[in-house]
Amino acid sequence: MAGLRLSKITIALLLLLIACHVGPSMAVLFNQLPKTLIVTATTKSGDVLHAGEDKFTVTWALNTSLPSGADANYKTVKVLLCYAPISQHDRKWRKSNNDLKKDKTCQFTVVKQDYSATGKHEYTVARDIPTASYFVRAYALDASDTKVAFGQTTDANKTVNIFEVVGITGRTTGIFVSAIVFSAFSGLALAFFYVVENKKKK
Amino acid sequence: MAKKSLEVEVEDEGDAAQFKMPVDSDHKATEFWLFSFAKPHMRAFHLSWFSFFCCFVSSFAAPPLLPVIRDNLSLTTTDIGNAGIASVSGAVFARLAMGAACDLVGPRLASASLILITTPAVYCSSLIDSATGFLLVRFFTGFSLATFVSTQFWMSSMFSPPKVGLANGVAGGWGNMGGGATQLIMPLVYELIKKIGSTNFIAWRIAFFIPGVMQTCSAIAVLMFGQDMPDGNYNKLHKAGEKHKDNFSEVFKHAVTNYRGWILALTYGYCFGVELTIDNIIAQYFYDRFGVNISKAGTIAASFGLANIVSRPGGGLFSDYLSKFFGMRGRLWGLWVVQTLGGIFCVILGRTNSLAGSIVVLLLFSLFCQAACGLTFGVVPFVSRRSLGLISGMGGGGGNVGAVLTQLIFFHNSKYSTEDGIFYMGIMILVCTLPIALIHFPQWGGMLCGPKPGYTPEDYYQSEWSHHEQQKGYHTASLRFAENSVREGGRSARGSGHSKHTVPVETSLTDV
Repeated sequence: MAGLRLSKITIALLLLLIACHVGPSMAVLFNQLPKTLIVTATTKSGDVLHAGEDKFTVTWALNTSLPSGADANYKTVKVLLCYAPISQHDRKWRKSNNDLKKDKTCQFTVVKQDYSATGKHEYTVARDIPTASYFVRAYALDASDTKVAFGQTTDANKTVNIFEVVGITGRTTGIFVSAIVFSAFSGLALAFFYVVENKKKK
Repeated sequence: MAKKSLEVEVEDEGDAAQFKMPVDSDHKATEFWLFSFAKPHMRAFHLSWFSFFCCFVSSFAAPPLLPVIRDNLSLTTTDIGNAGIASVSGAVFARLAMGAACDLVGPRLASASLILITTPAVYCSSLIDSATGFLLVRFFTGFSLATFVSTQFWMSSMFSPPKVGLANGVAGGWGNMGGGATQLIMPLVYELIKKIGSTNFIAWRIAFFIPGVMQTCSAIAVLMFGQDMPDGNYNKLHKAGEKHKDNFSEVFKHAVTNYRGWILALTYGYCFGVELTIDNIIAQYFYDRFGVNISKAGTIAASFGLANIVSRPGGGLFSDYLSKFFGMRGRLWGLWVVQTLGGIFCVILGRTNSLAGSIVVLLLFSLFCQAACGLTFGVVPFVSRRSLGLISGMGGGGGNVGAVLTQLIFFHNSKYSTEDGIFYMGIMILVCTLPIALIHFPQWGGMLCGPKPGYTPEDYYQSEWSHHEQQKGYHTASLRFAENSVREGGRSARGSGHSKHTVPVETSLTDV
C-alpha cells in the first residue's frame, strides 16, 4: 500500500522534473549573459548607409582568452541589427528590457547560421530597415534556441561605433502622380456638380 | 410656411402615392425598410450611412498601419499622439459648421462638398515623409467626421417621428462602424500589396488609395442619387416658395444658454470621445503588448468598431423602451447606468494581462460604450426644439473634444504606459458621467428629482420663443413637438389616446 503511494509520488515528481525542462524555460536575462563573442563590423562611427544599396561585413569570434570548452553548447549564431539609445527615445516599441523575451532592442536579423569559433558575413542593408541609428549584436544560441552568450560592436552604454541607416522613403513616382491625379479629380467632380446645380437654379 | 411650398409641390406632382413607402403629411417615411433602396427615403438612408462610413474608414486608416508608418517616418510616441489628437480635433468645429451648412444648402450638397474637399488629404497621406506631414493629413482627413451631423439632419428630414430615432441610430452606428472596418480593411490591403511584391514602406502608401477612392465614389453617389427632402432638393423648394428662416442669433442663444446641452456635450465626450480614442490606440496596443502581428491586431481592434452594427442602434432602442415605462427619467437613468458600465469595463481592460481576457473585456466595453452613444441621442432631441440642430452639433462636437482630451492626457507621450492610460481613462469616464444626474427637465424630472408640478412640455418648449414671436405663430412647430413628447412623462403622464409616437425628432431650422 505504502509502496504504491510512494511510487505514485515519485512518478509525479519525475513528471514535474521533466516538465520543468521541457516546458518554457526561465526568463533569460541580458545582464546575466556572458559576453564571450567579439563582434566587429566594417562600419565606422557616424557612417551613413542606404537601405537596399550599401553593405557592410560583420565578423564574430570567440574570445580566445576564455578557457577551452566555453562554447561547448553553442549551436547557432544569430546576428542582429539593434537600435541605439537615441533611436529608442520616446518610442516604447523599441524599448530595451533585461528580460530578453520582452526586449525590443534588436528587431532585424542580419544572418543566422551554424556556430563556428569565427565567422563573417557580408550584409546588404535590407529595404525594410527604417531610418535610425544602429549597432550590431550577435547572440550564441544553444540546441533549444535559447540565448546563452552574446557580443556586440558597441560598449555597455551603447555609445560607441554607432552608425546610421537611411531607409527608403517609399514614395515612388507612380504614387506621387496617382495622388495628384486622384486629388484633382475629386476637386473637378465637386466643381462639375456645383456648375450643374447652378444651371438648375436658373 | 414650409407647408405652403409643400402644397405647391403636391399640386405639381400628385399625392403621396408617388412614394413607394408610406408617408405622413410631411411626406416623411413612416416605416423603415432596411434592405430597400426605395427613392427617396431609403436611398437617402443608404447614401448617408455609407458616405459617413467611408469618412470613418479614412479618418482611422492610419492607426492599424502605425507599426509600419512609425518606422517609415521615424515617428516618436509624442508624434503619434499629436496626430491622433489632430485627427479628432478638426471635427469639433466642423460639426458645428455642418449644422449651419445643412440649413443653408441642404445635407446633400453640404456633406458631399465636405467629403470631396477632404479626399485630397487622404490621397496625399501616401506622400508624407515627416511627423508634421503625418499630423497635417490626419488633421484634414478628420474634418470629414462632421458628416455625422449631416447624417442625422438628413434622416430627420426623411423619416417621420416614430421612425426617426431608429433611422438616426442605425445611420450613426453603421457609419461609426467604419472605425472598426478600417482596422480590418487596411491591414488586409497592406498584406495583399506586400504579397504582390511591394516593400513595406511602399505598400502602406498604396493602401491609402482604397479609403480615398471609397470616399470619392460615395460623395459622387450622394450628389448623383441623393435628394435633400422627400419632395426635392433645397434649390427646387426655395424656388417654389418662401421657407421661413429662423434668426441665427436667437437659435445660438437658446442653444448655449441651455445647460443640459453642455452636460450632454461633456458626457458624449466620454462615450463617443472614448470610442474615437480607442479607434486610434487599440491596434498598436495589441501589437505592442501582446505581440500579435499587424493583421491580428487589426482584427481585434476592428471588433471594437464593428460592434457598432448593433450596439449603437441598440442603445437608441433601449432608450425608447425605457421611455415607454419611465419616461425621460428612464432615458436618463439608462444613459447613466450604461455609460458607467462602459467606464467599469474600461478600467478592467487596463488591468487585464492576458490576450484572451483583453479581447473579451474589449468587446463588453465596446457594447456599453457605444450603446451609451445611442442613449445620449435619445435625450438630445428633447433638450431644445428651436435649437435642435445646434444642440446636436454641440453634442457631436463635445464628443470630439472628449477624444482630444483623453488622448492629450493619457496617450500623448510616454508618461503613462498604454495599459495605465486605459485604466485612468476608465476612471475619468466614471467621474465625467456623474453630471447626468444634474440634468433636470422641469416637465419630466431628472435622475434624482421628479418634475415640477403643473409644468408642461408646452411651457418648456414655448419658453424658447418671445411673446412677439409667439404672436406671429413661429412657435407652432414647437407646440406640435410638445404634444408628441407627452410620453416622456412616463406611464403616469399618459392620458387617454395621445399619440404613440416615439422619439419625435424633426428638422431643426427649416420648417420653423
